[in-house]
Amino acid sequence: MLKNYFKIAIAVLRRRKFFTFISLFGISFTLTILLVLTAFLDKVVGDSYPDRKRDRSLYVTRLQESGKDGQSSSTLSYYFLSHFVGSLKTPVKLGISTIYEGTNTYVNNKKIAVNYKYTNADYWDIMEYDFTEGKAFSKQQIDNVDKVAVISEDMKSEYFGDIPSVIGKYIEADNVKYRVIGVVKNVPITSYTLYSDIYLPYTVSKTDLTKGKGYLGGSTAVLLAKSAADVPRMRDEYDAMMRRIPMESKQFNKMYSHAESYIRSYVDTGNEGMSGVTIVITTIVIFVLLVTVLPTLNLVNINITRIMERSSEIGVRKAFGASSGTLVYQFLVENIILTLLGGLIGVVLSFIAIQVINSFHLIPNLILSINFTVLGIGLLVCFFFGLLSGVYPAWRMSKLNVVTALKAQ
Amino acid sequence: MMFKHLFKLIWNKKKQNFLLMTEMLFSFLVLFAVFTLLVYYYDNYKKPMGFEYQNVWVVSYNNAYQTKNADSLNNYYEILRKSIKAMPEVRELSFCSFNTPFSNNMSQGRVTYHKKEFYHMNFYTADDSYQATMNMQVSEGRWFNKTDVVAKDKPIVINSDTKEQLFGKGTAVGQLIVNGDDKDKMMRVIGVVQSIKVKGDYAPAGLGLYQRADTGSLRWFGKIMVQVTPDASAAFEGRLYKTMANYMKDSNIEIEHLTNKRTSINYFTLIPMIVLSIVGSFLAINVALGLFGVLWYNINQRRGEIGLRRAVGASGNAVSSQLIYESMILATLSLIVGSFFAVQFPLLNVFDLSAGIYISAMLLAITFIYLLVFLCSLYPGRQAAAIYPAVALHEE
Repeated sequence: MLKNYFKIAIAVLRRRKFFTFISLFGISFTLTILLVLTAFLDKVVGDSYPDRKRDRSLYVTRLQESGKDGQSSSTLSYYFLSHFVGSLKTPVKLGISTIYEGTNTYVNNKKIAVNYKYTNADYWDIMEYDFTEGKAFSKQQIDNVDKVAVISEDMKSEYFGDIPSVIGKYIEADNVKYRVIGVVKNVPITSYTLYSDIYLPYTVSKTDLTKGKGYLGGSTAVLLAKSAADVPRMRDEYDAMMRRIPMESKQFNKMYSHAESYIRSYVDTGNEGMSGVTIVITTIVIFVLLVTVLPTLNLVNINITRIMERSSEIGVRKAFGASSGTLVYQFLVENIILTLLGGLIGVVLSFIAIQVINSFHLIPNLILSINFTVLGIGLLVCFFFGLLSGVYPAWRMSKLNVVTALKAQ
Repeated sequence: MMFKHLFKLIWNKKKQNFLLMTEMLFSFLVLFAVFTLLVYYYDNYKKPMGFEYQNVWVVSYNNAYQTKNADSLNNYYEILRKSIKAMPEVRELSFCSFNTPFSNNMSQGRVTYHKKEFYHMNFYTADDSYQATMNMQVSEGRWFNKTDVVAKDKPIVINSDTKEQLFGKGTAVGQLIVNGDDKDKMMRVIGVVQSIKVKGDYAPAGLGLYQRADTGSLRWFGKIMVQVTPDASAAFEGRLYKTMANYMKDSNIEIEHLTNKRTSINYFTLIPMIVLSIVGSFLAINVALGLFGVLWYNINQRRGEIGLRRAVGASGNAVSSQLIYESMILATLSLIVGSFFAVQFPLLNVFDLSAGIYISAMLLAITFIYLLVFLCSLYPGRQAAAIYPAVALHEE
């Protein structure tokens, strides 16, 4: 039976080439837009390089202090993270790093812009950077205030040119010479808490990070639990700690900071009153609705037109005893075949679109790709489309009166 | 009379027309959103930049020299200023607050004038040579100079947007503005400068006022604007960097060019604009194709009716214009509903844009939809006109 429906579907598609083209155009382009969007989101928030232990990590990126005369919200100080967060029992590791900052270096009268960040030793135990050569700095090297650096592949080729190994060579940044001890694969700048060109021990910072007892500063932290099951306990312990900590000064009466999952910390708005997750989800939902509602309406329109055209066929089938259910079923199958065909074209188009976007290098090191999740989502969307745009026309069709349908000819 | 008849025809096919109308309504709303954004960006784009950024560099430093002694602090920065100024490639330099043009730093507050409050006022702090470094145009009064030290009320220079909002066409120089709502914090306007579009070409300049830098500001400053000659090379930049880094041993130094910073800040407005335009035009094409298909099919369905009209003497033109009118009426109906929604934006002042932007966007979207519908019904209409009454009626 299904085979027959398939044959009919193909025959119908070939009869009215213009309508088929319109339907396929709508489906495939909508799908392309959705696929590129999901590929982008998947890369920006779903990519787990270099923090592969996300399932047992929590991220601390912000502290907000509120008082009568206003509020301030910022990344945290090294003191706050090492002193308060460092006293927690559940985390087995506490990676602390400063947010990247820019400086320049000049090689052979050429300017190179360099982003650098300072980290502690635990940071390298939690993160799984792919080292193309060398390794990370150790706790020993940090305590000795060794001027050593881990650099990115981009930095290596820009500063040293095309040479096989740079371990042991010196890189000058910020007027200081550092010995290169490791080279890591690039991280896109969209992972802003992990991205940098040069990673340095926090003890070599020109600003003494361990000095001062202010709460706000330029650092963020990653807390690693022993297992994924320990994560809720770690979150509770963090919240309990926040309730215990004294206010930084008299002008504030409330303090907020959370240890959150990667995605939650990523979309944080910097304001306790506004949930970043809600804003992002609302924006995406509105965008997706706009992009899908119009083509769906269009498809419904086209489908109704097609059915009316086939009223004689429907009349004949009804006259010979086909039930409404059978007809609706047949029509839905036809429609799903059409949408899947559109979906196939859509996947090809998305593939091309993603290649084009990648070739523009809009964001350095952000290489989009169609992965299986994205493909799966795409197929689901297709199926949903097929049903959505087929149900109403099919229902209209099944209501068609045999006599009028036959008489129309 | 004729319109009444057309309405009747539309009403008879209300089920099918309803879907078509919903489609037009949605495309109108999408186009309205896209055009609002485009008009807003264009409106900002055509305003002047307000200063010359081409040969200006921003030097950032942190963790600078700290001392309780005001004299030695002044001295420290005076030596730095002299040694940079002595370089032949440097024309002018100025110490200023963090909120430099094309950066993400902001410092906003509230001012009161005649009991009226103005929020989102940008507070800039800069020294006497800032105006010369940035080549800003003074339209009224003057920029700061040494005589301002002894002024009774704190002297400020406001930008042209602030002048327009607070004083309209009147004179601004000599007026008193209150910082926050504290009566003791009076500021006297001594000059008006052209507004600087600090967030790039496509964003509004916003309200802004400049305060004069004093010894206290040197403690928290972290930026130096340097105007260089057009032939300043990377080799010179390296020298400037070394001079700074050797003088401020404990600081991290970064030199950026305003031309590059402008490009990257514009990028963040341009990319969403391009993506939205692509999505918008895809939807428009989609709607156009759908409309074309449905109208074309309708004409094939109505061959009998059209044939009959031709037989009783209607000209080909009359038939085709009837069909075009029909779709135009459909478009009008959905545009009325759509405009009802769209007009809420200026009425409720959503997103804080001026009403003119919404209205131009609405007009553009309406024109666009009419044009789209007209073009899509043109060909089917012509086809209908070509129907021979004899052939069409024979089929019946």
